Amino acid sequence: MNLLALSLPAVLAQSDSGDLLVAQNIAFGIIAATMLFSAWRVVSTNNIVHAALYLVIALAGVAAIFILLGAEFVGVTQILVYIGAVVVLFLFGIMLTRARLGDVESVDHENRLIAALTAVLLAVVMSYALIDSFGDTRIDIETPSTTQAVSDSIFSDYIIPFEAVSLLLLAALIGAIVVARREDGS
Amino acid sequence: MLAQYLPVLGLLIFALLFGVGGFLTSGLLAPRSPNARKAAAYECGMVPAKDTPERFPVTFFLVAMIFIVFDVEIIFLYPWVIANGTLGAFGLFSILIFSFLVFESLLYLVSSGALEWGPVSQIRRARTEMVDADRTTSSTVRRVGLEGRPLEPQDQTEEAG
Amino acid sequence: MSVFAVDPLLAGEVGLEVLAVVLFKVLVVFVLLIVSVMLMIWAERKIISDMQNRIGPTRAGPWGILQTLADGLKLIFKEDLIPDNANRTVFKLAPLLTLVPAFLTFSIIPLGGDFTDKDGVISLFGNDTYLQLADPPIGLLLFLAMSSVAVYGIMLAGWSSGSKYPLLGSVRATSQMISYEAALGLTVAAVFLQSGSFSTHTIVSEQSVWQWNMWFTGFVPMAIFMIAATAELNRPPFDLVEAEQELVGGFHTEYSSIRFALFYLAEFMNTITISAIVVTIFLGGPNGPIFIDAVAWLWPILWFTVKLFALLFTFIWMRATLPRFRYDQLMDLGWKVLTPVALGWLLFLGARDVANDRGWNPVLVVGVAVTAFAVFGALLLRAVRMGKQVRELEEMRG
Repeated sequence: MNLLALSLPAVLAQSDSGDLLVAQNIAFGIIAATMLFSAWRVVSTNNIVHAALYLVIALAGVAAIFILLGAEFVGVTQILVYIGAVVVLFLFGIMLTRARLGDVESVDHENRLIAALTAVLLAVVMSYALIDSFGDTRIDIETPSTTQAVSDSIFSDYIIPFEAVSLLLLAALIGAIVVARREDGS
Repeated sequence: MLAQYLPVLGLLIFALLFGVGGFLTSGLLAPRSPNARKAAAYECGMVPAKDTPERFPVTFFLVAMIFIVFDVEIIFLYPWVIANGTLGAFGLFSILIFSFLVFESLLYLVSSGALEWGPVSQIRRARTEMVDADRTTSSTVRRVGLEGRPLEPQDQTEEAG
Repeated sequence: MSVFAVDPLLAGEVGLEVLAVVLFKVLVVFVLLIVSVMLMIWAERKIISDMQNRIGPTRAGPWGILQTLADGLKLIFKEDLIPDNANRTVFKLAPLLTLVPAFLTFSIIPLGGDFTDKDGVISLFGNDTYLQLADPPIGLLLFLAMSSVAVYGIMLAGWSSGSKYPLLGSVRATSQMISYEAALGLTVAAVFLQSGSFSTHTIVSEQSVWQWNMWFTGFVPMAIFMIAATAELNRPPFDLVEAEQELVGGFHTEYSSIRFALFYLAEFMNTITISAIVVTIFLGGPNGPIFIDAVAWLWPILWFTVKLFALLFTFIWMRATLPRFRYDQLMDLGWKVLTPVALGWLLFLGARDVANDRGWNPVLVVGVAVTAFAVFGALLLRAVRMGKQVRELEEMRG
């Protein structure tokens, strides 16, 4: 997702619609910088709730980039699901645990090196996958993707994954309840 | 297309200016004489005796969880409702299957008691092991004033016998 | 009309003149919102006093109409306290996070414009535009997105206060708001199904003088939307967030001065916006008969205002009449009644449309739908009973 966004300026530079593109490039730069900063703060801050809030900013940045690319429905989905539900779940999760809501000195972990390696490896794999599958395909920003188009592909090519999503959600919910039960028992 | 968001951006800037402007004006005009009592947590005049609760019931977490499930379902419903005219029966049946599976997860959550917030005493009241004012087979004494309380252990066996 | 209903003002080249018109529109909407919020707060206090045999505000201005302004000015001059335990940055940020979404949602409301033969286009300083601030293709989804963001304002206000009651209030509020957001999203989907678009402008133009979505969608979505909206607004009878007897003032207990004023303002602004959304999506928006051609532009605005006032009065009336729900009743209503019913009704409406296209037997469709409702209702009822038993068993085990 984020990597797709990072390759945007190169894509934009090749097209030639003038001022609008300059404005979009500037907007992209600001959003990307904000996202990078908040993503870094998510892992560096000592306050768990602050980390969750920086995560919100990073996710909002993703939504903004989707809208910049003309994928408005996906952008709103990002806000509704990630900001509206997933991070709220995180915050409730934090409140469930005994974690103190203020500053904690040691949310830091020993395995910094391994974490950094994993992150780099993930970035390499994801960029490889993206570049390999999309190459220099351009996104036509002037004709944004419609919800109708999203719907057409869900209900034709992706119908099996779509139905599988509901089973996945059911499994996730059962998992949550089982975990919650065990918590109660002890 | 992005130009359509220009007025929204304009209103965002105005709203921020309104809020921040309010803070600044208040910062300039309002008096400032803080003291320890004012800055303590508000507890209706009492000195706070206990810390803020650190843990919340797991039910809140489960509500957020079922909300994610429904949120994702709603997100998938939107493309369907927009394209319902062209998708026809195929779209309808695939969305019915999808919705059934999501409804099933709600059923599972409800039936496992995860969404029960109700006071448990209400459920207990319906149980039989309570002092009853009426005479029982083992005693002719009417026990007035203790109705609705749990029976003493020895009474419980009496009641059963 | 193009596939994307877009404001003709911003469809072409955006020059300086267009920017000036946009700025003008933004200013008008901004001032309109602030003034109507002030009047709304006054009206609410006045009407509730009447219903409770009191007089209400009388001192500031004629009939106390300037009371809100006086209160606002007073609050600016009050000391702004930040508790010792508070997380200062977040504490200062929270009121803004509540206020900004309240403003932004209003930008998608069509306030007027003749929808019978001009497709809602008006001329402003020689530029064609809609009488609504913005008409992005995501339309109403902006409202849903903003209400997800508004949750953070309340949650963070409670958390950052570093005090018991605000924290309890905000956790309750968050849970309540996300619960009813599910029902809200499902009822809005019924409107999208009817209009085939997210855009508020298209939704309004698909309705006409008397043919409102309220009838087309069979009234159930509107009823659910109204209930869910009341809960989303944290208004009585769903004001558990600030239940005075239990939580002092709820999430804003520790707030004073202008920061409190902003929360208060945002609450009433949201009430107005949600009423306006109900008018837009269910009651035909500015659609209405046009009588005198000389002032034809005035009638849609008038109809919109009349419908809006009727809804606002309903909200005030509900506040004065209904006692507060208990928390378990609130959650039960949201998850075990409203959400399943909204989902079932939406699927039924979808099936109805497909049946119309395909020429299926309507009696058969209704019969299958009723049977399905009965079967799934019975299943849900059974699940609720089981849930109660499980809870009872767990409680007995200690």
